[in-house]
Amino acid sequence: MYGGINEPAPLCFLSLLPPLSPAAPISPSEPISQAYSLALYMQKNTSTLLQTYLQYQGSPFSDPGFAAPELQLSSLPPAAVSFKTWHAMDDAERLRRAQGAFLALTQHLQLVGDDQSDLNPGSPVLLAQLGAARLRAQGLLGNMAAIMTALGLPIPPEEDTLGLVPFGASAFERKCRGYIVTREYGHWTDRAVRDLALLKAKYPA
Amino acid sequence: MDVYSGWKQPSWMVDSKRMRMTLNLPWLLSALTLLHLTIQAHSLKRGAAQDLKCTTKNMHVWDCTWSASAGVSPGTVKEVCIKDRLNSCHRLESTNIKIAALSPGDHEVTINYLNGFQNKFTLNEKDVSLIPDTPESLNLSADFSTSTLHLRWNDRGSAFPYPSNATWEIKVLQNPSMEPVKLVSFNTTLSGQDIVHHWNWTSDLPLQCAPHSVGIRWYIDHHRFSGYKVWSDWSLLKNISWTPNSETNVFPQDKVILAGSDITFCCVSQTKVLSGQIGRTFCPLIHLYGENVAIRIQNISVSENSGTNVVFTTEDNVYGTVVFAGYPPDVPQKLNCETHDFKEIICSWNPGRPTGLVGPRNTDYTLSESISGKSVAFKRFETLTNESYRLAFQMLPGQEIHNFTLTGRNPLGHAESAIFINITERVVPHVPVSLRVKDINSTVVALSWHLPGNFAKINLLCQVQICKASSEQEVRNATIKGAEGSSYLVAVDKLNPYTLYTFRVRCSTETFWKWSKWSNEKRHLTMEAIPSRGPDTWREWSSDGKNLIIYWKPLPINEANGKILSYNVSCSSNEETQSLSEILDPQHKAEIQLEKNDYIISVVAKNSAGSSPPSKIASMEIPNDDILVEQAVGMGKRIFLSWHPDPNMTCDYVIKWCNSSRSEPCLMDWIKVPSNSTETIIESDQFQPGVRYNFYLYGCTNQGYQLLRSIIGYIEELAPIVAPNFTVEDTSADSILVKWEDIPVEELRGFLRGYLFYFQKGERDTPKTRTFETGHSDIKLKNITDISQKTLRIADLQGKTSYHLVLRAYTHGGLGPEKSMFVVTKENSVGLIIAILIPVAVAVIVGVVTSILCYRKREWIKETFYPDIPNPENCKALQFQKSICEGSSALKTLEMNPCTPNNVEVLESRSIVPKIEDTEIISPVAERPGECSEADPENHVVVSYCPPIIEEEISNPAADEAGGTSQVVYIDVQSMYQPQAKPEEEQGIDPGVVAGYKPQMRLPINSAVEDTTAEDEADKTAGYRPQANVNTWNLVSPDSPRSTDSNSEIVSFGSPCSINSRQFLIPPKDEDSPKSNGGGWSFTNFFQNKPND
Repeated sequence: MYGGINEPAPLCFLSLLPPLSPAAPISPSEPISQAYSLALYMQKNTSTLLQTYLQYQGSPFSDPGFAAPELQLSSLPPAAVSFKTWHAMDDAERLRRAQGAFLALTQHLQLVGDDQSDLNPGSPVLLAQLGAARLRAQGLLGNMAAIMTALGLPIPPEEDTLGLVPFGASAFERKCRGYIVTREYGHWTDRAVRDLALLKAKYPA
Repeated sequence: MDVYSGWKQPSWMVDSKRMRMTLNLPWLLSALTLLHLTIQAHSLKRGAAQDLKCTTKNMHVWDCTWSASAGVSPGTVKEVCIKDRLNSCHRLESTNIKIAALSPGDHEVTINYLNGFQNKFTLNEKDVSLIPDTPESLNLSADFSTSTLHLRWNDRGSAFPYPSNATWEIKVLQNPSMEPVKLVSFNTTLSGQDIVHHWNWTSDLPLQCAPHSVGIRWYIDHHRFSGYKVWSDWSLLKNISWTPNSETNVFPQDKVILAGSDITFCCVSQTKVLSGQIGRTFCPLIHLYGENVAIRIQNISVSENSGTNVVFTTEDNVYGTVVFAGYPPDVPQKLNCETHDFKEIICSWNPGRPTGLVGPRNTDYTLSESISGKSVAFKRFETLTNESYRLAFQMLPGQEIHNFTLTGRNPLGHAESAIFINITERVVPHVPVSLRVKDINSTVVALSWHLPGNFAKINLLCQVQICKASSEQEVRNATIKGAEGSSYLVAVDKLNPYTLYTFRVRCSTETFWKWSKWSNEKRHLTMEAIPSRGPDTWREWSSDGKNLIIYWKPLPINEANGKILSYNVSCSSNEETQSLSEILDPQHKAEIQLEKNDYIISVVAKNSAGSSPPSKIASMEIPNDDILVEQAVGMGKRIFLSWHPDPNMTCDYVIKWCNSSRSEPCLMDWIKVPSNSTETIIESDQFQPGVRYNFYLYGCTNQGYQLLRSIIGYIEELAPIVAPNFTVEDTSADSILVKWEDIPVEELRGFLRGYLFYFQKGERDTPKTRTFETGHSDIKLKNITDISQKTLRIADLQGKTSYHLVLRAYTHGGLGPEKSMFVVTKENSVGLIIAILIPVAVAVIVGVVTSILCYRKREWIKETFYPDIPNPENCKALQFQKSICEGSSALKTLEMNPCTPNNVEVLESRSIVPKIEDTEIISPVAERPGECSEADPENHVVVSYCPPIIEEEISNPAADEAGGTSQVVYIDVQSMYQPQAKPEEEQGIDPGVVAGYKPQMRLPINSAVEDTTAEDEADKTAGYRPQANVNTWNLVSPDSPRSTDSNSEIVSFGSPCSINSRQFLIPPKDEDSPKSNGGGWSFTNFFQNKPND
């Protein structure tokens, strides 16, 4: 049932290798291919993560077909973007946005994991899936950094996207927050797959 | 994500409270006072002044007012005088006056006006109302997280005589309704000092949901004041309202409540709230202030781990909160504290009923020890269900008595259990480790183990479990002085030498509480000891009498006390002692060359520990001439022997046995039986049924063994496997003497019980005599039970006759095989002669007598047997025959004319019956249709065959024509032929007559006479007939011109064919049938109707 969390994620560890030297001009196709593979792999597990998460939050979260698209987090950029806007972006812009989003996602997934340790301490399945998702997001971040290096793009500095917000949150806010994070994780993964597919076509191996 | 909330108290609730409050006592008092004063005023009315009313705020000063009479302006008052008082008149110009409090009792008050009017009142303290000043609330604050209001105010008690009772009333208003949602009154005592009072109130509705206002009033009751006590005015309302300071707008947030209680949630919203739900259940909305709404949950059920969600949905957003419903901790159950090592005390307990709360809301346990004042805490986020909780408490040195209290605490409450123990009585040692075994001697070992922990002050009680390989098990207790972190040592005695033991240990304390777990097992083989006795010994002299063979048995393991390495055999006589070299263990036999003298043989077994005591046996037996051989038969694999007790036999009895067919010295085995026994059962796997064994019973005396009995026996008797070998010793004409030999013991297989002898007449090769059938009457049987008999004479036999003789031996195991023999008895010569002579003599005598008689009666014989023969010429021949002929006119065979013997003419007529066998069979092919009628009638009979046909019965032709239908005849391809019908129709035969089975053939008779009648006969033929009328074939053949005729009712296919060959006898393309119009052979024609026209 929760097979997804126990599956090894070999791709994500490949990407955690030390960043390549920016001076060395290398072909971007390899990191793009790696990132694309990882994003595809992540895409398979995102809906499982969301369903598992909702299942542990009680009704109405756990009700079938639950969706609250109006809920958003100011600290997490939404993945939804108009096609025109997305299409008009250049590679650097797409990478920069995805990179920023996954940076925020890794921090938020950590936060959601902490929240759920309080709310659902007896649910190792959920906690493990959240942890695995965070690791994969970090892996994808590393891959994207490699791509940006290979393309000669500047890597944006890591910043604290969460700020001071989260600690006083109520349990309901934490549940909603987790829902938004797991949902946006899926959306951003979908978007990253498209971004990377575009890049992959542009830089064939 | 922001959560806003707000609510409105339901109006019905406000109304009900108001109704209740307005009927309160103070209101009633005020009304009554007013009424009373009015009555008083009227009663005192002398002039225009009316309604003297006095009140007081503090009982020191009365403030009296009255209303001037009509026509008297208030400014015209001159003075007020109180009658029974010094300086009782007060000048004044208004209608009110402040006067010091009057003493109890009536006082006359006179009011004088400038215009001379005078009013008189009677004033009594009882008529005065005590109305304290409006209280002033100092402070109203709210704790929004708990929905609690805090009110502070000063009672200003210093202004009042004390002690006085103050009764306060506080009202709480909830917007928008101005009716109080809470009205509460309570008493305080004024003590002559200003005291600040507090009042807290917790709202059902979260305070964030609606603005709240609080007012307060009071009245004072002093025991010396007899006037009316009247409520003060309500204080100014103090307001509390919530200013949204966060994004939260559903209240309360993250509340932990008792399962089963009621709770109200509200949502503060600027826009319309569409729905409110808890979990999956939608609740009716209660509208509060503005757009704020609330829902009320009754009897809330226990939440799941992450809490129960309460969600409000507006048009554009979702707001919510989480409530955690659960239970306070249950009293910890089965609290038990014990120590393993006197270093720490482990307390365990069962949490009891689950609280339903996890994470930060889970129960925290604190274990505190009241004597030492120390405590330890237990906290875990996960809830263990039905599992024991454990806490370790570090022991203080020297403290034995402990008073533990375990307290469980969660947001909903706490519960505790206590236990009072002396820890020295609650010891469960750890499992003993490092168990070692050390040999002390062959029956004693030392067992040592290590037991972690400090047991210096107590004694340990340990158990040693001793298991032998044979699974018998023994437990021994040992009490040991405790020590700190030490090894312990006990000696285990009374063990068997050279035995494999398994040891394990567990410990407790002398003041037993619980055993530790068993330690690991340790296997140990004890040391060897010398064998406890010498081996069982026997001896036999060799067959030549020069050697003595000594046998002994290996010692059982419990007597060998070790591994037997070798045996020492020695023999000693009075003069010398001869010792053989060591005989290594597996060999249990030795041979010594000895004279047949008295020797004492001794055998000693040796193991690594030493030699056994010798076992001795004398070389010679004590002779005993009085020995009878007896017989015995056993059962199964055992044989039972018994004997009479013999007081001379002092040591024991020995029974030895051997297979009787073996040569000497024969010894299979022996057993020793104690001297007080008189019977034994000998049992051996070597025993086999059908084998004879010799058993010898020896008695042991001081001088040696003496043979007492000799027994031959079988474990089980079987039938002999061979027949006795017998021969015929002598044969006479009427007897046979048979002699046989003994059967060897090995083949007898049992004790011989007798012989069966059968005999019967019979030849060697006659099957009947091959076997003797039981019950056969011819068989003669003799049972010979005297087994010493070796011959048998069979008498009363017939001479020169073959006899079949059979002899069988039998035991109790059954009959053995038979041996048979054929013997012919000798001839009896006298009888033979007599048998020849008597018939000859009889024949001669009969011949003579016959001759004489014939001679004497020769005339009669001649007349009777040889009469004279008449001369035929003189005879009227055949006269008697004529008369016979005349009697039957039907017989025309002999036409009797007047008897003219010389001229007899015999007439013959030719038979007209045709011979079918001789007729020639002619194929229809060969016969032309037209020639049929022209065939020579005398020539031949035409026989034709046609295969069987299937013919549909032809109905009335007229009917067929009328209906326009016709019959189609489906015929097997191989038998497509339809004979008969047409010809018979042509011949004017009624079809009805023809109906039914058609004969296969008809044989026309060729005679001219018969030819004409043939058709007539056909008319009558309705039953079986010959196959076909060959004459008609031409008429119905489809190839024939006529077959195309429209008269033909039936379409016939094919040609006649041979029934044998199944070939069409007329080929389809016969030249005689050129007009075949396709109705013949094509498949389509099978289903095609030939038109009738």
